[in-house]
Amino acid sequence: MKIDRRIISNIIYVVLGTSLFGLGFAGVMDAFWSGMGGALIAVGIIRIIQILRCSNDESYREKIQIEAKDERNQFLRNKAWAWTAYIFVLMTAVAAIVFQLFGEELLSMVAGFAICILFVMYWLCYMVLNKKY
Amino acid sequence: MKNKIEQIRKERGILQDEFAKALGVSRQTISSLENGRYNPSILLAYKIAKYFGMTIEDVFIFEEEEQL
Repeated sequence: MKIDRRIISNIIYVVLGTSLFGLGFAGVMDAFWSGMGGALIAVGIIRIIQILRCSNDESYREKIQIEAKDERNQFLRNKAWAWTAYIFVLMTAVAAIVFQLFGEELLSMVAGFAICILFVMYWLCYMVLNKKY
Repeated sequence: MKNKIEQIRKERGILQDEFAKALGVSRQTISSLENGRYNPSILLAYKIAKYFGMTIEDVFIFEEEEQL
């Protein structure tokens, strides 16, 4: 039952993606939306294949479940996100300085603003987690 | 943290795949644990010790200087 619901939601993604892609192809919508449609089609099809394979192949289902629940994988995912955020902040800070040096004040401000938002989000997440644990 | 997982596992003739399956983790996790690249959670450490029929202290070697 749970698998059926997941298949249905992914079919909805594919239908929605096809509609967006079609509208973009017909020139009704711009390339952004047709690109979004393409991404939805790809994600939906991959997920449907994965769900069907999981329901037919027990060893594959076991492998996927272990991969998802494995504590080292979870640790790696969290660590990768932490590194990504750290590298993003560093790169954005460098970009803000470079934009400022080249007189692109608006871009520099946007980069600086992005860093500020990230720090505020970090602080909020920290506060929530601090209350939770 | 050092551990005796590989030694105990080999003494008992248990394969990494078999061990991983029993603990519900991937084979890479077992490999990383044995090489000391990854320290397990207290829950996994407990599961490992229980699987071997030993205590956590028998399997894992805590060294004070690691905390300095």
